[in-house]
Amino acid sequence: MKKAVVLSIVVALIAATAGMVQAQQRDSISIVGSSTVYPFATVVAEKFGKAGSFKSPKIESTGTGGGFKLFCGGVGVQHPDMSNASRAIKASEFETCQKNGVTDIVEVKIGYDGIVVANSQKAAGLKLTTKDIFLALAKDVPDPKGGEGLVANPYKTWKDVNPSLPDVKIEVLGPPPTSGTRDAFVELAMESGALKFEGLKKLSKEDGKKFQKVFSSIREDGAYVEAGENDNLIVQKLGANPNALGVFGFSFLDQNTDKIQGSFVDGNPPSFENIASGKYPLSRPLFFYVKKAHVGVIPGIKEYLAEFTSEKAWGKDGYLSEKGLIPLPEAERKQVGENVKALKTVTEVK
Amino acid sequence: MNSPIDTAAAPEPQRTIDIVNRSLKRRYRAERRFRFYGLAAIVLSLMFLALLFVSIVAKGYSAFWQTSIRLPIVFDPAVIQQDTLVNADYAALVREALFKKFPQVDGRQDKRQLTALMSSGSVYRLRDMVLKDPDLVGRGAEVWLLADDDVDMLIKGHFRRDLPEAERRVSDKQIAWIEQLESEGRLERRFNTTFLSAGDSREPELAGVWGAVSGSFFTLLITLSLSFPIGVAAAVYLEEFARKNRWTDLIEVNINNLAAVPSIVFGLLGLAVFLNFFGLPRSAPLVGGLVLTLMTLPTIIIASRSALKAVPPSIREAALGVGASKMQMVVHHVLPLALPGMLTGTIIGMARALGESAPLLMIGMVAFIVDIPKGFTDSATVLPVQIYLWSDSPERAFVERTSAAIMVLLAFLVVMNAGAIILRKKFERRW
Amino acid sequence: MLTLTRVDETALAGTMTEIHLKAKGGTDAGRPRVSREKRETVGTVTVENPRMVCRNVNVYYGDKQAIKNVSIDIGCNEVLAMIGPSGCGKSTFIRCLNRMNDTIEGCRVTGDILLDGVNIHDKDVDVVPLRAQVGMVFQKPNPFPKSIYENVAYGPRIHGMARDKSELDAMVETSLKKAGLWEEVKDRMDQPGTGLSGGQQQRLCIARTIAVNPEIILMDEPCSALDPIATSVIEDLIFELRSQYSICIVTHSMQQAARVSQRTAYFHLGDLIEVGPTERIFTNPRHELTQDYITGRFG
Repeated sequence: MKKAVVLSIVVALIAATAGMVQAQQRDSISIVGSSTVYPFATVVAEKFGKAGSFKSPKIESTGTGGGFKLFCGGVGVQHPDMSNASRAIKASEFETCQKNGVTDIVEVKIGYDGIVVANSQKAAGLKLTTKDIFLALAKDVPDPKGGEGLVANPYKTWKDVNPSLPDVKIEVLGPPPTSGTRDAFVELAMESGALKFEGLKKLSKEDGKKFQKVFSSIREDGAYVEAGENDNLIVQKLGANPNALGVFGFSFLDQNTDKIQGSFVDGNPPSFENIASGKYPLSRPLFFYVKKAHVGVIPGIKEYLAEFTSEKAWGKDGYLSEKGLIPLPEAERKQVGENVKALKTVTEVK
Repeated sequence: MNSPIDTAAAPEPQRTIDIVNRSLKRRYRAERRFRFYGLAAIVLSLMFLALLFVSIVAKGYSAFWQTSIRLPIVFDPAVIQQDTLVNADYAALVREALFKKFPQVDGRQDKRQLTALMSSGSVYRLRDMVLKDPDLVGRGAEVWLLADDDVDMLIKGHFRRDLPEAERRVSDKQIAWIEQLESEGRLERRFNTTFLSAGDSREPELAGVWGAVSGSFFTLLITLSLSFPIGVAAAVYLEEFARKNRWTDLIEVNINNLAAVPSIVFGLLGLAVFLNFFGLPRSAPLVGGLVLTLMTLPTIIIASRSALKAVPPSIREAALGVGASKMQMVVHHVLPLALPGMLTGTIIGMARALGESAPLLMIGMVAFIVDIPKGFTDSATVLPVQIYLWSDSPERAFVERTSAAIMVLLAFLVVMNAGAIILRKKFERRW
Repeated sequence: MLTLTRVDETALAGTMTEIHLKAKGGTDAGRPRVSREKRETVGTVTVENPRMVCRNVNVYYGDKQAIKNVSIDIGCNEVLAMIGPSGCGKSTFIRCLNRMNDTIEGCRVTGDILLDGVNIHDKDVDVVPLRAQVGMVFQKPNPFPKSIYENVAYGPRIHGMARDKSELDAMVETSLKKAGLWEEVKDRMDQPGTGLSGGQQQRLCIARTIAVNPEIILMDEPCSALDPIATSVIEDLIFELRSQYSICIVTHSMQQAARVSQRTAYFHLGDLIEVGPTERIFTNPRHELTQDYITGRFG
């Protein structure tokens, strides 16, 4: 008899939830995408929700690529309304979107993120160049003896790489290949470092694919340690090991200035101002994309966009800058803000 | 009588007792050694457990206290009535109170630093106060408001004050203000109710576990109410009713294999079946519960089957002997005896489900969700996901919250297990 | 409740004559001993007023044959004892009589076991009413882990034999009285049945069996786990129960067989070697194997 009661409860439960599913219309914004944009988008979402008129948007950290996959799945409540991205949408992703009926997409550039190479406060600060970074971390480097070809990376210490650097073993903790930060790091630091070599510069013009392989292959002999997606972990490990360097997003440096220091790259320290002005080379723009078809269908999208692009959020002294987002220059902010207001869609992607 | 010649000439057959006595020492030594190894293993694992708990508690206990600042707030009608009660600029009230408290502060930069002492959440606190009691408008009150997480970290000693100013998140001026507030008794560490009652937040001082606890609760409710009856029914059928043939062997092998499948696979399955095919909502405890049901079912089935196997055949024969049908035999006699074992299996399965985050990634439960879920289809996250998200947040104050959330997760687990143990004791027949 | 319908005597007799009997008849005590090699049943397997009729019963466990072509009758109000060395198949045989062997994987029964003219191994025979009609007491006392009352009341309850609580109470009391346990347990009916002594537990099991009011009671070595005093109590009980039930008892103890039974069947390696009145079997066995066994030459 007890069994029957339990069984009927279960059946009722399933029936009830099934009914709810049928009847449900999504009343909160659903956002997916990059883990780099996540800390900023969540702040806006929370403020937006707490303001009281709408439910707080739900934000999933799926990575940029994963976000676009979901975002471009189609139009309808079961698909997300926005996708955060730590790079611009790719042509292939845009095509997928078009194919699935997601034709009108609004691009919102929200600011910059810097990638820092940092070490413990206990050690001396480093002054690196992208060339140093490439030589220290690439799997294959131009022959130091002056030959034409590439040789397996022979450098053991930073001094080997550049005599002005300290005589410390090369040990860099960084993100794994699945991370967007790693992609950006490879693109911004390794590629421009590689281009400092005449031979490689020539190669990049003759055989782009081979060049890409050269600068994106990171050495696997223990000098570069994949420390997982958790940037906090890298920060902690740096504190314990003053000889190691870490690669992660600027916001983690910003929050932990008492423990770690950012290395200079090409003569500029990773500071708020330097990233905003573009002097610091390892910085990238951040975006999010909005499905125009959902505006007006899912309540609050317009208001969320307004909140995000308001001066108090993404402005120079806005609350996003407190979280480590580097704001766009004022003129660009204004331009993007107008585009967003008009819901100007992306027409073509290079 | 024990002359050497005697023994040499005729080696007497040895008595068993002598042989036994000779080996006795060695045997006892072996036993002592074994007992020592066993004890050492237990002590070692207890030490690791203690280390784990100590490190979690040491890191996390401070999250249960939160720095608050008492400010004389004047609910200035001129400010509040500019807009509706909901949208009024309550931040201005906080600013006003601070500037009045520190009249010497001047300059935009300094004023910004001063307002940065207070949590952005104090605005909502004031708003809620006014909404609850509109008569407050026009009056003044001393209100305890949350301090910013940086202040909290400083008070708790997680920020060092002796570092150069540039390397600190709290400036010298701010420290001076904080010390002044402290000396006036306006700064206090109070019990952190927010942590236990709020949902997630990007401001550490406003973040709470209640959203994740509710999400875990709803998810596990679905998991339990599906996996226990289905698992028990499957086990009973396979063990008591199904014929033993190639098909049941195949099913058995598959169930055993399923128990060892990495949990992320169940997440992919859930994505394909529940979200894409059935169109259930993303991030909902309903779907999370269904996925975890798939994951825990094999565990429960295997445990239930061994519990059924352990019921003595004499009880089955006794029931059949008086003419009970197979179903009656199972329901009246076998199931009650097997239930404690089945419950144990269920606890193990549920504990695993409680700690799981990988399969939930696929169905969108690894998400930032501020609102506390109220039902099975509301967007929700679960405790392990919350822990993971916090551990990956840059703000220092999330470090202690991560550990505190782990403590909450352990408490949840303890409550769940205690419930199951009470149930088991109730069903257990001790005769 | 019982779906087996009773057929009249003449119909039963009709079936009987068609059945091939492998046994050689005759109770003549003066005939010579049958040699060890012969495996056909010696003695009369039929009785005048049979309650249950077994003909050419074979039992296989997978490929192994455990019972070979056994034919025997169980009479009304008699106690039939089955004796024989360990592994001779007597337990297997008795378990065929209420189809307890169904629960054993790979067990196959051929031949006829007729109860009221119906072969109980027919496909359309339901085992539930059969087992209500043919009760069983097992070797090891196996009371349910429930109260004494619940143990006895279980059978009547599942079969719906009592209309209300008082009727059920009465049934429990009668059964316990018949089993000679009432006086010992009447004050602690709600205590667990497993808390009783071994002998009491076995009598509780007997009470549980007779609570369903079966027509035949099968007992599989009911006293093997009991001390001599408990054994004698049970034996007295069996003796009394005979007036109302047909009882079939498997026992290792020849003294017990001699004390409680009217007829005795001797099994050897799956063969039914000899059947006859208990007194004759023990005083003047005709088969050499039977003689070897009862004189203690083996077994």
